[in-house]
Order: sequence, then structure tokens, then C-alpha cells
Amino acid sequence: MKIESMKELLQRCEEKGKTISEVMLDMEVENSGKTRETLIDKMTARLQQMKNTIELGIQDKSSSPSGISGGDAVRVDEYVKKETILSGNYIGDAMRFSIATSESNAKMGIIVATPTAGAAGVLPGILFSLHKNDNTPFETLVEGLFTASALGYVIANRSFISGAAGGCQAEVGSATAMAAGAIVELKGGSPEQAVHAAAIALKSLLGLVCDPVAGLVEVPCIKRNVMGTSIAFSAADLSLAGVKSRIPCDEVIKAMYDIGSEMPRTLKETALGGLAATETGQQVKERMYKKKGGF
Amino acid sequence: MEFKSCFDIIGPIMVGPSSSHTAGVVSIGNFIYELLGGPPGYASITLYDSFSETHSGHGTDKALVGGMLGMRTNDSNIKSAVEFANKQGLNFDIQLQDYCPYFSHPNTVKVEAERHEYKIIAGGVSLGGGLSKIFLLNEKIVDIPISANDNVSTLVQSYTSYVKRQTSLGGSYED
Ligand code: SF4
Repeated sequence: MKIESMKELLQRCEEKGKTISEVMLDMEVENSGKTRETLIDKMTARLQQMKNTIELGIQDKSSSPSGISGGDAVRVDEYVKKETILSGNYIGDAMRFSIATSESNAKMGIIVATPTAGAAGVLPGILFSLHKNDNTPFETLVEGLFTASALGYVIANRSFISGAAGGCQAEVGSATAMAAGAIVELKGGSPEQAVHAAAIALKSLLGLVCDPVAGLVEVPCIKRNVMGTSIAFSAADLSLAGVKSRIPCDEVIKAMYDIGSEMPRTLKETALGGLAATETGQQVKERMYKKKGGF
Repeated sequence: MEFKSCFDIIGPIMVGPSSSHTAGVVSIGNFIYELLGGPPGYASITLYDSFSETHSGHGTDKALVGGMLGMRTNDSNIKSAVEFANKQGLNFDIQLQDYCPYFSHPNTVKVEAERHEYKIIAGGVSLGGGLSKIFLLNEKIVDIPISANDNVSTLVQSYTSYVKRQTSLGGSYED
């Protein structure tokens, strides 16, 4: 069994009267021949790893081997705990959890690729923010991961999910779309609303290039993960308010594919354009070259 | 439909920072470890193209060495793989080259590894998303895909005949 489009996913949900999360789990049971319990356990292990990564990352002041990232998670954590933050509690908590995850990733910590390592901060950010602010239990968060995986699965098979293939829109863009849909479903929205949220989130990141300084998954990647969480919450809010994406999600994904295909090579993870090509970006790269092999 | 499972999207659990420059490389090292039945005493590593340019920032070298010490993609010790190599008697050197003559891809590596009197040359490519492939064993072009979830020790069983026994030993091995 496979699901080839968001349209098909929604049809399936409607026919069975099930959520996206349940439809994905059913499909996985059918395709893998494993029991629901085994698959849920496997997904729970991933959620648990996300939690561990956040706990380590949020108190780690050290910098990455390259020296261009690290220490901001602690800063954001202290700020969020102390101040009344402008973005509100949901986004505030998502910010500190996502930055903790993405900084850990840069420091060779253990993360869960969602869908890639570069975009690994977005989903843990929104999930553990819901956990903190709504007391959403672990079992429910795992359902959110199944929702997110269904959306990511459709995107990955119709377009791309890596920066090298389609720019950052494919990486942080896909992760943000997955997160937006997961929030909607966890908040009791319909499958249709979840897909609209994914479309709205993805639309706002269309065209985003992949331009990591010195080719490292640090600048601008870490902060883009953080921004992804706030876009995900805004998109979810819009959709839960009844706002629809005027362009159907499948067409948005197609647009992402077309844009990514036309994107020049310099803006697809080669570190030859965009922020990587700025004066400061180049200086970092030169410093890395000198240090080559010497870390 | 390249992506078949929800765990292709949520997962693998892996060491950062890059699924292609780090996680996939651990599997290549791990293949060598399993094929030789343990960590090599000596490994000569050639990193090509993109790997040669950004390996230090991505920990590509640590990932490869960690894999050759038997670590898997989700082992937090990979960070300290070089120290572990020193302790466990794995000596290695790294050469950097622009293009891989065997396989056209920016993320390629070749390793000549020796364990006791046994030797293997393996070429590997990291394809992204934690997926990799062995494309060279000794002089022969092969096609052995490895994913982060694979059981590598079972996978190598069909390839043990590639491991060569050396009659005259060139180096000394401590293991
Ligand atoms: S800029 Fe490139 S490497 Fe960084 S997160 Fe975006 S896609 Fe990944």
C-alpha cells in the first residue's frame, strides 16, 4: 500500500473516518508486517531520543568544532524562563527546544533526522512545547510523529527533502510543513485542516535556498530550525481558524519541486552562494581550510 | 516512491551534523569493521571531493574511524572516535583528493584497512539521508547498499571472500 498525494491521504482518512496519524500507522502495519505495538514502540524510541537531545543541548554552553555555533540554546533558555517573551509560551518553548536540538546536531550529538539532520530541530521543538504547555502526553506526541511522517512521506516522494537536491525549502520547509500539520492534528483539527496548515507553512518557505557557511550545518541552519517552529505554529493557528490554502497542498509541493529544480547549483548545499558567499562566510571557510584535518 | 516507511522520514536516530557527511559514513566504516571481524590495526583513508573539503567540520573522519571501531550511527562516542582509535590501537592516516576515480559522487571515500594478516580495500559513497553504498572491494566494482537500520554483520557474510590474507606483513599490529 502506498499513498501518492495529499488528496489521496485525505480520501483515505475520510473513507475510514480516521486521522492522518492512524492512516499512516495502518499503512506501516500493512507494509512492514509488524504489529502496531512494535511500530509504536519504535516511534516512541525516536521521541525519547528527541527528549534526551533537548535535555543535553539546553544546558550545553560549548561551541561546535568549527567555532561558529553553540551557546545560544542556554541564552534562549534563560531568556524564555525569565522574561515575558514576545512570541508567547508555545513559540518561546519551541524556540529553546529546537535550538537545543540543532546545536547538539552541530556538535555531533545524537539526533533524530526529521526528515534530515539539518532540519532535526523543528519537530522536537513543537512537540515538546505542546507537551509543556498543554500537558500533551507522550503517547499523543507519538501520534503527532506519525502525522508528521505521513506528510513528509508524501512530500519526499513527490518532491525532495534534502538541501542538496532542492534547497532549504526542501529541508526546513518540509520539516515545518510536517510540524504545522502535526500541531493541527494534536490540537484536534481535521485531516483537511492539517493538510492546509502544511500547505500554508510550506508556501511561506518556498524558494528558500541552501547556503550553509563553509558547508557546515550551522549557519544559517540552526536559526532556520527555530524560525520553522514559529511558522509552524502560525500556519497551524491560521488553519485551525478555518483559513484554507488557496493553492492545494499537492500543487504547493509541485511548485517546491519546480523551484528546487530550477535553483542554481550554487544555492544547493555547495556553499558557493548566498550566505556562504558573503564576506564573513568566506572568512569562516578560509579559517576551516587552514585548520583542515586539524580539529 | 523512494521513501517507503514512516521511519524513513522520522529517523534514523543518528549522530549529527549531517546525514550524508556523518551518519552514512559511519556505516561505511562499520562495513569494514564487520568484514575484517574487528577493528583494523591500520587504515589508510582517502577522502574525495566534498568529503575532502568539509570533513573536519562534519566529523567525516571521526565517523569513518568510529565505524571501523564498531560504533553504529547512533553511538555518542563517535565524537571521540580519534581518542578511542588511539586507545584501541587503530592507526590511520588521511589523504585528501579532489575527485574519486572509481565513482562519480562528491561524497566518496576509499579505505585500505589491515587487521592482523588480513587486508581489504573498500570504496564507499554516502548518498544522503543516512543511506550509503560500498562501490569498490579490492579492485572490483560492487554495489552494496547499506542503510542505518541494516544489520551490517549479516550483510558482510556474502563478501568475506574479498578479504585477502597477506603472506608477508608490512606493518605491525597491536589490537
Ligand atoms: S541551509 Fe542547507 S544545510 Fe542548512 S538547514 Fe537549510 S538545507 Fe540544511
